[in-house]
Amino acid sequence: MKRTGFVYDDRYLLHDTGGYHPESPERLKAIHQRLSASGVLEKLTLIEADRANQRWIETVHNIHYIMRFDEACISGLSEFEHPDNAICRETCDIAFLAVGGVLKAIDLIMKGEIDNAFCAVRPPGHHAEVDKPMGFCYFNNVAIAARYVQKQYGIERVAIIDFDVHHGNGTQHIFDRDASVFYYSIHEHPSFAYPGTGREFEVGIGEGNGYTVNSPVLPGRGDDEYRRLIMQDLVPAVKKFKPEFIILSAGFDAHESDLMSGTSLSTDGYDFVSEVIMNLVNRFTGGRVVSVLEGGYNLDVLPILVENHIKMLAAIK
Amino acid sequence: MFVGDRMSKDLITAGPEMTIFDAQKLMVEKGIRHLPVIDGAGKLIGIVSDRDMRDCMPSTLLKKPDYDITLGKIGNHPIGDIMTKNPMAIYAYYTLQDTLLVMQQRKVGALPVIDEEGYLKGILSTRDLLRAFVNIMNIDEPGSLLCIQVKEQRGQMKKIVDIITEENISLGSVLVARFWDKDKRAIFPYLLTNNVINVKKKLLQAGFELIDPMEWYLDQLPKKTA
Repeated sequence: MKRTGFVYDDRYLLHDTGGYHPESPERLKAIHQRLSASGVLEKLTLIEADRANQRWIETVHNIHYIMRFDEACISGLSEFEHPDNAICRETCDIAFLAVGGVLKAIDLIMKGEIDNAFCAVRPPGHHAEVDKPMGFCYFNNVAIAARYVQKQYGIERVAIIDFDVHHGNGTQHIFDRDASVFYYSIHEHPSFAYPGTGREFEVGIGEGNGYTVNSPVLPGRGDDEYRRLIMQDLVPAVKKFKPEFIILSAGFDAHESDLMSGTSLSTDGYDFVSEVIMNLVNRFTGGRVVSVLEGGYNLDVLPILVENHIKMLAAIK
Repeated sequence: MFVGDRMSKDLITAGPEMTIFDAQKLMVEKGIRHLPVIDGAGKLIGIVSDRDMRDCMPSTLLKKPDYDITLGKIGNHPIGDIMTKNPMAIYAYYTLQDTLLVMQQRKVGALPVIDEEGYLKGILSTRDLLRAFVNIMNIDEPGSLLCIQVKEQRGQMKKIVDIITEENISLGSVLVARFWDKDKRAIFPYLLTNNVINVKKKLLQAGFELIDPMEWYLDQLPKKTA
């Protein structure tokens, strides 16, 4: 078994999206309940979040954007620049804590106190652009994490693997000219799904050309297509890139019973995705991986999928 | 929705006496494929397309000396000799839909825009039109496309729009395919949101069928014959 950290903080529930929003605190409650009922939780190293230092957020986001976000929350607005992005007074503070939780997990991995970690954070992050909130996301948790790994620990090559059903436009755009961060995303085809980016021919720009790989999946397709694309697109690209650290944008909304998407990945299909990724992690990064929660909205299956994913991280049979 | 809002007003024009050499240089420099030709007063009298230009050039199969000799004979002719005279033109009050139809039917790549006295006011190219429609349909904004199959009867669109409105979702655009399966139409609302769960649930509850693109895609593929 591996020493797997579990970032969770009751304060993540304080980001209140108004009761009729799929990105709700209930998501984390359901995950926590399941993990503690099944006994998996006690096998994990619990990590409570610290507030992130703003200077790390500024490695990705524009300072004026951070200030705008803070002001929108303080002034009691119920949305930030788009109705998708529901906020409350606490949202900005909680977004700092979400980033902080991920950075703390990285610290523990780098100190050797744990092998890897799953971060059950809210709000999610992969749609957030340098100066724009999108699709329930405010700070790009994984992008900030990649910068942190590089700047704080001098690691050169970081791979981000994004299996949320939506394309991580924010993450792609932040790194699309950067050859030191490889970005892979498998997601529902942009013709049909939000946000409308992530086509096969989006492969990075300039020096970053070749360091972005996208695998769009047509609606209605599931395990076979994921298997085919991951073996054909992800595995050879990671072998070639040889990352020293891997960060996951872990979204569980591609599941066949999640109405947010039209793809139909099964519970076993998710296991396959986690398993291949862990094989890559073990081969290239010496086991170093931090997995960060993005989407997943069916409250009945989300906890099961997260638990299975954590079992793969922790190598629990 | 009107040509006047979407046409290029930064006009690059020529007089009929400009040489073919100069006109070609101008078109390459400015990256344009259509050069409107005006008289001294600014009235439209012709248009030169990149195809007109290519048609009058010597063949690239000619050997270099032959090519240069032929080019020398051509280059100093005025573009008045090769332009399309009195070209089809539209007015700023044309709608973009109508212009789309005109361009498709007449197979032209750009339409000069004139006022009622015939003075050149702008030009609308297929690129301008593409940009305008991308913008009008809001597909350059992040969003999700719904694919809904409906029975061919009155009031279906109202029900769909009501559901979208109830969910407080902003509608980017709606396309309707009037010919789908027998007695069916297909409606494609583009929603400016990530949040499609509740709207999908309500559409299914209201008896609408969500189209699975893979189903019809597979139907289109050539069948293997035994």
